[in-house]
Amino acid sequence: MLSSLSFLLFSALTACAYASSDYHERLLLRPLPQDTLLASFNFRSNETSAAYEQQNFRLFPRSLGQILRYAHTKELHLRFSVGRWDAENWGQRPWYGAREGSNGVELWAWIEASSEDEAFSRWLTLVNNLSGLFCASLNFIDATKTIRPVISFDPEGDHTSTSNLHLLHGTLPHEVVCTENLTPFLKLLPCKGKAGVSSLLDGHKLFDAAFQSMAIDVRPVCETLGENCVIEMEQTVDMVLDIPRSKRPRDNPIPRPLPIEEIECDTSKSYNAPDTCYPLDRKMEPAWNLTEVFGKPLKGACPLTEAEGPESEALCINTVPERTIHANTTGQYTESLSASDTLRCYKLPTAAEFDLILPEQRLTTGLVRGQPHLYASRSINGHGQERGSVQAVIKNPSPTDAVEFAYLESLPWFMKPYLHTLRAHVSTSSEDPLKETYYRPAVDRVRGTHLELRLVIPPASTLTLTYDFEKAILRYTEYPPDANRGFDAPPAVIRILGPFQSTDRKGLYLRTTPLLLSLPTPDFSMPYNVIILTSTVMALGFGNIFNLVVRRFVGADEVPALGGLKGIILGKVQRIKARFGKA
Amino acid sequence: MAQTARPPETTTMASTNEEPKQPPPETPQSLWLRRAVIASFWAVVAFLGLPVWWRTTAIYRAELPLQDMMSWANAQVGTPVKAAFTPLTSTQECKLVFPLHIAVEAPLPSHDVHHLLEATQNALNDLNSFPAHQLRLAFAEPPPPANASQQVIVDGTGPAKEDDTAALSVRLIPVETGATPRSRLQPYSTNLDVYFSPNQIPLQSSTSSPLATYIAGELHQLYAQEQAQLANLISDASYRSRSASPDVAAQLQRQSARAFKYAPTYHLTFSLFTPTSTPSAWDIDAALRQYMRPILESFSGISNFTIDTQVQLYAGFSPSIRQPEYDDNAKAWTIYKEDVSGFINAAEWPLSPSIGQGPTINFALYVPDEGQAPLLVQGSRDNSWLIPQWGGVMILNPQSRDPTLTKEALVPAMQVFSTQLTSLLGLPQTPASLPLRISTLIRVHAASLIFSSSSTLGALAQVYQKMPTIPVPDSVAKSVDLSLAHLNQACESLREGRFQDALENARTANGEAEKAFFERSMVGQVYFPDEHKVAVYLPLLGPVAVPLVMAALKEVKAGIAALKGR
Repeated sequence: MLSSLSFLLFSALTACAYASSDYHERLLLRPLPQDTLLASFNFRSNETSAAYEQQNFRLFPRSLGQILRYAHTKELHLRFSVGRWDAENWGQRPWYGAREGSNGVELWAWIEASSEDEAFSRWLTLVNNLSGLFCASLNFIDATKTIRPVISFDPEGDHTSTSNLHLLHGTLPHEVVCTENLTPFLKLLPCKGKAGVSSLLDGHKLFDAAFQSMAIDVRPVCETLGENCVIEMEQTVDMVLDIPRSKRPRDNPIPRPLPIEEIECDTSKSYNAPDTCYPLDRKMEPAWNLTEVFGKPLKGACPLTEAEGPESEALCINTVPERTIHANTTGQYTESLSASDTLRCYKLPTAAEFDLILPEQRLTTGLVRGQPHLYASRSINGHGQERGSVQAVIKNPSPTDAVEFAYLESLPWFMKPYLHTLRAHVSTSSEDPLKETYYRPAVDRVRGTHLELRLVIPPASTLTLTYDFEKAILRYTEYPPDANRGFDAPPAVIRILGPFQSTDRKGLYLRTTPLLLSLPTPDFSMPYNVIILTSTVMALGFGNIFNLVVRRFVGADEVPALGGLKGIILGKVQRIKARFGKA
Repeated sequence: MAQTARPPETTTMASTNEEPKQPPPETPQSLWLRRAVIASFWAVVAFLGLPVWWRTTAIYRAELPLQDMMSWANAQVGTPVKAAFTPLTSTQECKLVFPLHIAVEAPLPSHDVHHLLEATQNALNDLNSFPAHQLRLAFAEPPPPANASQQVIVDGTGPAKEDDTAALSVRLIPVETGATPRSRLQPYSTNLDVYFSPNQIPLQSSTSSPLATYIAGELHQLYAQEQAQLANLISDASYRSRSASPDVAAQLQRQSARAFKYAPTYHLTFSLFTPTSTPSAWDIDAALRQYMRPILESFSGISNFTIDTQVQLYAGFSPSIRQPEYDDNAKAWTIYKEDVSGFINAAEWPLSPSIGQGPTINFALYVPDEGQAPLLVQGSRDNSWLIPQWGGVMILNPQSRDPTLTKEALVPAMQVFSTQLTSLLGLPQTPASLPLRISTLIRVHAASLIFSSSSTLGALAQVYQKMPTIPVPDSVAKSVDLSLAHLNQACESLREGRFQDALENARTANGEAEKAFFERSMVGQVYFPDEHKVAVYLPLLGPVAVPLVMAALKEVKAGIAALKGR
């Protein structure tokens, strides 16, 4: 068995990340169980607020800076995510979930405005412009997808006055995040993926990952309030790569089984035979290197980073001390150890390729992964096209601490919750865990539901939150082209309020998976059928009544001969016959 | 129904030639009742159904002053307004005139000056071949001493009010030495100094004098370029044959092809590109403040400017062009003149236009890789080139490879960029005085705005007439009214010589005209033809219409038969 030996503190990394240099970048690698690898990229660039106000952009990208100034946005958080963080196996989330978004696109911003309406119109300007910059459908964030959270988000930056700042939040759970979003993301970096750790970022690998999240955070940071301010932009990419999958060559990506001779078989199985084999877990750490896993070589350091000090170490790997790691480069590099030797950091050579090579190795020790503060899952229950219910299960693994958290749901307007059916139930006590509720009901086609709850979950217990909802019937034109796929409901955002506190102002977050909601879907040729059928019925009714009113009724034997349609047709036929006869 | 459900024996009876039984004659009461029923159905359809249908599916079209719009458009392109058009009172035809007031200061007795002015004005009128552009000389009193107020009212004929609106002041200065007459134009003010010797003052008896001819010649030459430009503009607008010589026309053509279309706001973007990581900073703020702000301030009467700057590392030029070659003689890398058009790496350089109204003028400073330095452009003295209606590019080979470009290192770039900026803004090359060139630019822009807004209005009127299916909201009518009002004001301001006013009015007029023409809701319905409307309602209208029409026909027939039978 792997014995626990070492530990990791993410906060130790993040704490040292707040020094004064203008540009900083770091890649943290951490092998996870089941041959997976977490790669956390972090890029941070600062611009003094004086230069930002005068639009002299150096490290801050001009395209983004202009949008933020134009939309009066003081703080911006933008997330592009795909996949699910497997907390059971992978442990605590990177950055404690603060740099992670819900599936698809999530955006929230503090906008300066004198009134709510003005804030909303600036928000629309912001999403429309960001949409063009990041090649994403952000412009579809309209009033129905926008909410104003109350307790789930706090500003991270130093703002001189918060009275006229408005927080707006929008999600696009249906958005497919792909390479076209990574390219503009890389262009915002000063070294543009041509030097530094960003040279490892490749669309093919990033979007092939089991979990990936791209984040952009812009905030003002001041030494003392209102003085020496800088505008800080942080770009973060977290991805969990499957090592064997990433190592497959691009020209031959189909996995093939090993020859049976090379597989270690479980000989204790009754069916074991020369041609049948139950493979044993080899308990070996796989061999890998950076070039193989990322599909690209690391092209040395980005020259804008600091030359000395811990800031200059751009590449770190967090693994047990006994793991063998070779560095392969022609340039000069330095290696340093910290956090009980579980963190190895490298200062990269300038203008020379750098590679880390980890051979296959059997390990006797393992890392203790940080335990998540909470586990959460959410699902839709019920059947039929009319009603359903949502059930969220939140588990507190801590044996001693009761956890207080905020639970935020932003539901589309066509999913209408019944608030009176909201039940929060704790497995270990009968006390009501629900402390506060913020609720803004949906208005059809105008805005969505905003439901925010403050809950407390006792130690070592499970909280079950349920509510029923009704599915609305949409108008014909409101269905998307792939209507039978279903509609996405954005994930719930859970923010941990206490007793755990983050060391900085980012907060502790986790998000559930999104929901797929199937709505009654019509046959789309229906409107024409309806028009024709209705018209026919109306015409029939009209014809009957009209005839009844205007016809003259006579006795059956008083009807003139050869009257009506039959007579006319007969007459016509005879005339035609006569004509043909002449000819 | 009753008739069709006929028992079979009735037919056999009819076929055996037996006289069928006649129904009893209708009472006039029931006859009239039936007619009333049919008539009332038709009345409902005609007076309620059709109007409702018509109203609910009709397209709203606001009334536009089409005659005014067409007459503006026609007046500008030179075709005479048709007699059938009775122009409304609000539109008198606007004839573009550019009366320039020129103040003359001379330390001479007033009758001498008047005589000189008269002679000069005559000479000028003889020289002028373009009647819309008139130079009007006026005598300006020399600045009076503080307590000599009585001098101002000595002469009523010399209007002294021109001081503000004078386009140019000519100062006559008597000298004893040097060649006379000679003149000097001050480069940063609107003063033309003419030096003469006192014996050159014309005598009362003579009608012409060398001094007057000289001044007239100088003035004419000073405004020759502007006249050519305006004449070219008018002939462009009216498709008339050009009056200017082909050389001048070609030069003006080139100049206007380079320049941006007039806009009230321009965004200037200064970008530093380098294929490596140095230089990673530049002292652009100080350099702009020293070298770019003054020139922008002198343009502030015409347009507003916003400035932003950026530094882009690892941004090489476009890989699709021929790579530079090393020239052993010059000890430099050379990039060919033919290739510079593809130099801009549009795919990777973030040169997106700035947000907000108005075009973006880009200035790109490229610092080459150390391995390719110095990089020169073949046949370009200052290593730069201009991209028409886009901006300017310069390749800078700095002395040192410091990470920061200092203000001193940026001086050549700033000089090149300011020259490029003036030509991108359409500033004429002559005369030597900057304020004069800027005032020329004001007049040229005002004229071109009037042309473009009247042709936009004309186009809108044509669209309105030719496409009866497009909706026209009230906002369009409002914009058109505003545009016409401002056009009239602009025309008036031009006539009175208030060119700054004229420019502002013309700018508003043009903005409103464009807003009206590009109204978004007008394009939406163009592709929704009437056939669609009918097709959707046909399943209802068809079956309803048939019994109505049949009943009406039958009744009319019966009525005619009854009339005949009587």
